[in-house]
Amino acid sequence: MSNFVNMDVFANYQKYIDNEQEIRENIRTVVREIEQLAKESTIQLQIIHCDLKKIDYACAEARKQILACAESYQKLAALIPNGQYYRYSDHWTYITQKCVFLIALVVYLEAGFLVTRETVAEMLSLKTNHAEGFHLDIEDYLHGILQLASELSRFATNSVTMGDYDRPLNISHFLADVNSGFRLLNLKNDGLRKRFDALKYDVKKIEEVVYDISIRGLRSTAEGDGTEKDKND
Amino acid sequence: MPENQGFRRNFKKFSKPKPNIIVEDSPVLNAFQAYRAELDAKHDRHERIVKLSRDITIESKRIIFHLHSIESNKNNRQKVLQEAEQRLQKLININFKAVAKELHGQDPYQFRSAYSPGLQEFIEAYSFYEYFKWSDNEKQGLSDWHTIQKQMQYSDEVEVEIEKKQESLEEPATLAEAVNTPPNEEVKVLEPVKFEFFMDPTEYVLGISDLTGELMRRCVNSLGCGETNECVETCKALQNLYTCYISLRVQRCRELSRKVYTMRQSVIKAENVCYNVKVRGGEAAKWGSVFDNKPGDDIDEGFF
Repeated sequence: MSNFVNMDVFANYQKYIDNEQEIRENIRTVVREIEQLAKESTIQLQIIHCDLKKIDYACAEARKQILACAESYQKLAALIPNGQYYRYSDHWTYITQKCVFLIALVVYLEAGFLVTRETVAEMLSLKTNHAEGFHLDIEDYLHGILQLASELSRFATNSVTMGDYDRPLNISHFLADVNSGFRLLNLKNDGLRKRFDALKYDVKKIEEVVYDISIRGLRSTAEGDGTEKDKND
Repeated sequence: MPENQGFRRNFKKFSKPKPNIIVEDSPVLNAFQAYRAELDAKHDRHERIVKLSRDITIESKRIIFHLHSIESNKNNRQKVLQEAEQRLQKLININFKAVAKELHGQDPYQFRSAYSPGLQEFIEAYSFYEYFKWSDNEKQGLSDWHTIQKQMQYSDEVEVEIEKKQESLEEPATLAEAVNTPPNEEVKVLEPVKFEFFMDPTEYVLGISDLTGELMRRCVNSLGCGETNECVETCKALQNLYTCYISLRVQRCRELSRKVYTMRQSVIKAENVCYNVKVRGGEAAKWGSVFDNKPGDDIDEGFF
């Protein structure tokens, strides 16, 4: 009597799994590299909370690390078989979100605007469309931007402590922009939605800071600019 | 934003008290409108696949139920198997084709959570059907994922503009058709596009592990009908499957280890049935097993 179940099927599956395991290990090595680089640039950027003069320097340093990250991402892309991005993507979503955050912070500090997904993808040498190859997932981008919001609300508090009263207003405008952008999205009830729900606390925090300095007339240096704009709207 | 009136009203209401209303053509809003389109497309596709998968699950469960109605004293074996085969084929040809169409050009792993319940249930039904086939003639046992994959190849007529076709003239496969098409460049023609449903081996293995629950149920039911041969046979198949599963070394798959645990319990139940048959004879074992196991209540560890 022959067996209904053929052991070979399972032996083949074992081979298949072993193969997958090996790919995963290689991915983990590269992801660890990226994590290290991202950590270094995060440390560099902490300086913004205690020394405003060093911001430009920190941004330049962070950019170097980001450039190195892009190289590692190319290595990572080479490891992933075509059309299997989402099979392994859980290894790098977290760190990619972190990288998006770092880039968005650097771009905001340098130029004051919200970096687009295309630009982030370009800086990390990724694609934007999954059909073209290893790409930047849209949800990872959005997660990264939300991390930026909470970092900026911290930065607003600290810049007041360091005597820069213009910055909170600037940040407040920026966050309002980001906030209304996110309100355009139809978010599903998932992780991104949960993270977005926390955005309002960052917005609230920054508005309190703006209120505090306005009510005390501390914003004297930028009085003309800021209040004019408010009245116009 | 005509497609989203309600949301727009909300948006205005909330942002009005703020001093800075953003102008419509701000770069941030434009960018986010593009993101919204992309996210919506993704969610919509996900939802469509979930719907398709749910239909597959329901029909597969019904096929399994139908297969359970095979009884030797009713003499319905051939008839039931025939109908089950037809219904399985229908699932492959219609339902899975629709899923494959949605996934065409996408990363199948991205939507895995959407279609995996249906696929696993289908594999369970399919392999259960194959089990009955095998106990008829013993020639062909359980198919592996390649065999099932081979049945899920589809082609469809899709309108393609001639210009695109002429680019692919170098390929010998399309040459014959290209010759037949009229020279007019603006005519659209129907061209077969080949696609397949991607069968993930892991989904296959998880689906087969659900089969053990059905075999155990079959074993207990056969006892009720007094078919003691069937009990022994299903029990053998179960032991066999269990050996295969514990031979696997799979990390990072909690779902599988959970299923292997349930499988062990099914095997033990079936073995107890055989034991009772042996020591008490078919008649008496029936009572014992009914009181011990309450067949039918807590056996199905499927998704719903």
